[in-house]
Amino acid sequence: MTNSTEIASYPSERRNSQSSGALPSVEYGLIRAHVFASLVTLVVSVLFGLLVATKFSFPEFLGGHGWLTWGRLRYNHTQGIFFGWLGNAFLAFFYYAVPRLANRPVLSRKLGWFLFCVWNFAVVLPGWVLVAAGFSQPLEWAEFPLVVDAFVVLAFILMVFEFVLPFLKARLSDLYVSAWYIIGGIIFTMLAYPVGNFVPELVPGARGAAFSGLWIHDAVGLFVTPFALAIVYYVIPATTRRPIFSHFLSMVGFWVLFFTYPLNGTHHYVYSAIPMAAQKGAIVASAYLGMDVILVVTNLLLSLRGSSGIASKDVPLRFVWFGVVSYLVVGLQGSVQALMPVNRVIHFTDWVIGHSHLAMIGFGSFCALGGIAHLWQRIPGTRYNERMMNWSFWLLAVGLTLMVTDLTIAGLVEAQVWQSSAPWIDSVRAVGSYWLVRTLSGLPILAGFVLFWVSLVTGPRSSQAITPVTSREATEIKVAFEGAPAASHELIPTAWLSHAHVIAFGAGVGFFALSFLVLAILPGKELANEIKRAAPVTMPMLTASEQRGRVIYGREGCAYCHTQQIRSLAADVRRFGAPTEAWETKYDYPQLWGTRRIGPDLSREFNLHPRDWQLTHLYNPRLVVRDSVMPPYPWLFSGSANQPTQEGLDLLAYLQSLGRARQLSGFERQPLLSSVQPATPDMAMPSEPSARATPPSVPIAMTGGYSDSAPVLHPASNPADLQEEVSRGGTVFAANCASCHGSAGKGDGRASASLLPKPANLTAARFSDERLSSVLWNGITGSAMPPWRQLPTEDLRALVAHIESLHVASAPSSTQVSASLGQAKSLFAAACASCHGDTGAGNGPAAGVLAPAPTNFHLKKPTEERAWEVLENGVPGTAMAPWQSQLSADQRHALVEFVRSLYGTPQENAKQ
Amino acid sequence: MINLIVIVISAIMLVLVLLWWRWPAFRIWIEAPKYFMLRQERRFDDPERRRHSR
Repeated sequence: MTNSTEIASYPSERRNSQSSGALPSVEYGLIRAHVFASLVTLVVSVLFGLLVATKFSFPEFLGGHGWLTWGRLRYNHTQGIFFGWLGNAFLAFFYYAVPRLANRPVLSRKLGWFLFCVWNFAVVLPGWVLVAAGFSQPLEWAEFPLVVDAFVVLAFILMVFEFVLPFLKARLSDLYVSAWYIIGGIIFTMLAYPVGNFVPELVPGARGAAFSGLWIHDAVGLFVTPFALAIVYYVIPATTRRPIFSHFLSMVGFWVLFFTYPLNGTHHYVYSAIPMAAQKGAIVASAYLGMDVILVVTNLLLSLRGSSGIASKDVPLRFVWFGVVSYLVVGLQGSVQALMPVNRVIHFTDWVIGHSHLAMIGFGSFCALGGIAHLWQRIPGTRYNERMMNWSFWLLAVGLTLMVTDLTIAGLVEAQVWQSSAPWIDSVRAVGSYWLVRTLSGLPILAGFVLFWVSLVTGPRSSQAITPVTSREATEIKVAFEGAPAASHELIPTAWLSHAHVIAFGAGVGFFALSFLVLAILPGKELANEIKRAAPVTMPMLTASEQRGRVIYGREGCAYCHTQQIRSLAADVRRFGAPTEAWETKYDYPQLWGTRRIGPDLSREFNLHPRDWQLTHLYNPRLVVRDSVMPPYPWLFSGSANQPTQEGLDLLAYLQSLGRARQLSGFERQPLLSSVQPATPDMAMPSEPSARATPPSVPIAMTGGYSDSAPVLHPASNPADLQEEVSRGGTVFAANCASCHGSAGKGDGRASASLLPKPANLTAARFSDERLSSVLWNGITGSAMPPWRQLPTEDLRALVAHIESLHVASAPSSTQVSASLGQAKSLFAAACASCHGDTGAGNGPAAGVLAPAPTNFHLKKPTEERAWEVLENGVPGTAMAPWQSQLSADQRHALVEFVRSLYGTPQENAKQ
Repeated sequence: MINLIVIVISAIMLVLVLLWWRWPAFRIWIEAPKYFMLRQERRFDDPERRRHSR
């Protein structure tokens, strides 16, 4: 692409006119200030990330304070990296590169310091403080609250004046590719930022998600990528002292990137309620982007040809080279991830987290580090410590490689569990060790960043302004164009081409408008029509308490682990219910669809768990789910799980409202077969037939009000097999049941203190196989007992065997019963039969309205002591009242005997 | 949607390739900035020039 004829034909007057005269001033003070601000915020942001990662393995760690909870730290981690680290690093680079590329100084030093103050003291610092204090926005890459967003927009407007205006004033015809990326990136982000941050507050649910999708990808694709590429395109030729391979290819790369990247956003919502045309458009745009990345990287690597000696010795160039390779990997990965067959498996998993870390550290951060190190060697009075810089590079490279590999494998493991019918918590258990490795891999990364900082401040001091050459090899390279003869003929007049900066400016505005139209306006219009058509007339709005709870849900980052978006996939439908439809999100301001799942989807939480289970779970999740990694929220309570504050009650109210509209509308009771049908038939994938072919009658997680006949699980009759089942059941019991029922099954687990009714004492009654099977299959409505039908049948059978083995036969009573059995029968008919039924089958006239249902004594057979205890004290949290004050001791003893006579055959009773 | 994306990208590529193929001056123009950038880098690296710049 570089031949001597072309070089020779480049007119000498053009060569000289734009690069003659005094050098424009460079704001070194601002460069240093932004470099230090970037490194300070980088280290803080990485510490936030390390804490976030640690909490996956140790969820109680620093869990007692709201401002240190997982969700708020997670918000501050990503926003700190985005604004604090990368924002400041890019600004430092702009101050260095713009005067060189525009041959003019930046607009104003005072404006620069004002921008510095706005960026750091009106955006980063207050953003962190406000998020920690609980004021945030639960939208990906838009977590800082709206008041901070206003200053971000102001900062981007200031950037236009500071960095774009010099290009417009310079009227250069030689606009280098780095300048194109700087101009396009600033203009585009200035326009896209308000759309992603403000519009979802005004446009609800699925329609808002279309706008969020736009920004989610623009944040990476039109802020990080253009500015990182601007650095790469600058550092490579500046270090090797050779021009890039082809400026033409770099321009093709620029245009394709700016056209396709904004169209990628909706690939975060594949298989969602967003119109299929937008989804497919995003997938196609993602594929094009992959091709563009190949083109860009090829051009960049060809620019490095013959410079391997420099690349191995010049650490900044090595950082940039690593960034280029990461860009190739992450770009291809992104294109593949968007494809439906891949997306359906890996979306929401840690694979995507690995991908985003490769993008933000491997590509964005390595390029930014390379840019900073490069300019640090060339501004007056600063040099880096080469040894430290080397260490920094290798620590970062090793740490990142380990982290990305680990998260990618973890994602595949999660995906495998999610595709099965195993309980959700199994996926959490399966990746526990991977999360630990991820945390450990963060340590060399943190060390690498700290060493980078140390390297900058411990380098040799020098008054020399620049390092003339970076290595001996560089001095030996002859820059071809310098020796080229002056042109003998003039260029064909290219007046319009001389306004390249205007074209770049127009690219930003034009592509923003196009993506806005194609990804947000058109799908939004279609969604609005669909919502109008499908939403029930009586669809209830959230109450004031639920609305407040929604704010708390957003504030604590719940949406970053729990989606509210059931996709049109067999695995999702089997586990959570029918796919989320657009009308269900009619009142969601802003949308809370989420982009990741650590915990299960919560779209259908209504009626799923009772109040006391929810409160106990919020107070300390491990009280009811032993292996949960969810953070505790003790600040929503006054010391115990059964003393929620108003905020705790509000959050509870919101959780219990999720999916209510759908259930009340009757949609949920329609045959699942029809609800699984996608809105557009072409969504059906050849490999995705199971949900439609054999839909489950009820999703795995469904409970109260949805009970259906359970299979009766009979333990093995063979003693050896039975013993094996009991043993296996013990393991399953310890993992899933002991937190409530206690390790010995006495109903005294850690959670029992805050549950009402208390978990059953499984040693104090003998259960029939039918009863245990039914409870394990359907849970117990009105209690904290959830259904466990998601467990494998063998585990359920083993649980039945284990629980039956817990029963301890009581010694025959020595109490003299004076009342006759006949009198006791009359007493039972008068006092108990209205609930328990005449025969004790739990089917009295009042039973239908009681939850939990009255005990069926044919299926659950309490010991004599337990029956006596219940008659004396009742069962708190149920309709069973204490009878101590109303019946004499003799009458109660008679009733106990009578109840025991109802248990079954005499042979069975004799076993008691 | 897909058609629109494919058409626009194809059009951009076609225009660029045609310009490159049929218009040598375009080739020269579009490659020129990479030399300009390098020359600027050299200018800023020159200690003598820096001493005289503000």
